Amino acid sequence: MSSITDQQIRSIDDLEVIIDTDFHLTERQEDIFPYLESPFDELLNSQQGDDYGYLGRVYPAHGMVYSVTIGKADSETVRTKEDIQKGRDLVEWDKAIITPTQNLYLGAVHHDDLAAALATAYNNWLLDEILDPENGLYGAAIVAPQKPQKAAEEVERRANEDGIAAVMIPSGSVDPLLGHESYYPLYDACERAGLPIKMHNAAGTMMTRFPSTWQAMNRALPVHATSHNMMHQTNLADMLTRGVPERFPDLNFVIQESGLGWYPYFMRRFDHDYMGAKWDAPMLDKRPSEYLKDQFYVTSQPVEGLDDPQYLTETIRHFEGGDSLMFSSDYPHFDFDNTGELLKMLRSEFTSEEIQNIYGKTAERVYAFD
Amino acid sequence: MSESTQPDPDQSNIHHVIAADDISDGERIIVDITGREIAVFHSNGEFYALSNYCTHQGGPACEGLLSGTLDVDGDDELAWACDDEIVACPWHGWEFDITDGTHTASDDYRLPTYDVHILDGELYVEL
Repeated sequence: MSSITDQQIRSIDDLEVIIDTDFHLTERQEDIFPYLESPFDELLNSQQGDDYGYLGRVYPAHGMVYSVTIGKADSETVRTKEDIQKGRDLVEWDKAIITPTQNLYLGAVHHDDLAAALATAYNNWLLDEILDPENGLYGAAIVAPQKPQKAAEEVERRANEDGIAAVMIPSGSVDPLLGHESYYPLYDACERAGLPIKMHNAAGTMMTRFPSTWQAMNRALPVHATSHNMMHQTNLADMLTRGVPERFPDLNFVIQESGLGWYPYFMRRFDHDYMGAKWDAPMLDKRPSEYLKDQFYVTSQPVEGLDDPQYLTETIRHFEGGDSLMFSSDYPHFDFDNTGELLKMLRSEFTSEEIQNIYGKTAERVYAFD
Repeated sequence: MSESTQPDPDQSNIHHVIAADDISDGERIIVDITGREIAVFHSNGEFYALSNYCTHQGGPACEGLLSGTLDVDGDDELAWACDDEIVACPWHGWEFDITDGTHTASDDYRLPTYDVHILDGELYVEL
């Protein structure tokens, strides 16, 4: 049955339903300020004062120059149902889970109580002016991670409203991290309401909390499992953007101790962004992934997915590891890899030459043994 | 552009677009020629014709911002380049050089280009 069904789907017209799970509004402060409740309504809607052109912005701005801010990409305004229809005509969904843009930065708002009030105001606006479940317009109620108990109350208040299909945590700048017990009342409220929690970051807010995030990861497991590849990604992104491999074309780099799967992902993610932002990395003469393949090498330990040969062999293929992967043990660290473990996986997929490369021949070329 | 050639306007692959004087320098016109959306730019004294269909995801590539781009000079310092010769597809900001259709970052995504002829002040595109 399934194969017959699969054959029938030749275009999006053959799909039973299209649900867009992240369709954004581009709300402005002035859209939601009228929906503030006391005491922030009285405080912020007085129409008095002077903000010098920027002090009135309660959402922190990163100030980065994007293709949208310089006009090289258009971002449609989506602040009304009519605006939504324009995007719907393009994307052709039947239903959408409508999400914010400005309020992706809610978790970075400095005033905790105001942040909670802004979540309430946004949800008021969303329900009053945007959502229309009979017409497929569903939304996520947002909550302020700065005030988890108020967030739980916000969920309880919105749980039975028509059109609310999820809860969204603007997760990019949470402090503490989302494992902290202070969030348990929020999770309990969402669980009881049957509402999934959407976690959505904003690129401009994520690293604002990194020092405290590091401090907050008070166990070894989350630090070890995430920090190696995160740090490599941020360093590689910076080196590529500023043209380090172009400026030093005879210099090789070796990336260590971070596992493998993130690396082919990063190659493609960075290429993807680069294609729309060549002007932001003008030193480069070829795709970022090509510099990585030409001048960067990866060492194997700690190999993830040893119990999943298909995953591991495909992952290594995805970054042409036959030329760039080098065996490492990490001995005597607690997560060292024994020499034969990786070999068991490689034998079924890779040529003898490639395996010889991975276990030593590539290293002979990269390192200055002579 | 090839103003020097003298095409026969009666040829089936030569299509009249507009009087050349009706596109000011820095402006563009987008026309439908036998079902193809083609943009004709007038930039820095030259005319260029390109497909308006972005080879990335099908956006209206030639309807976006016409400007230049950031490049590096001989000292590897940031420098403005190709002024009024780079059009950015409004969907994803992919930049194309209108003089030859190339993407600024990759040879894999070129916009098709067409020869432009001017005959007696009238502008023609050759398909």
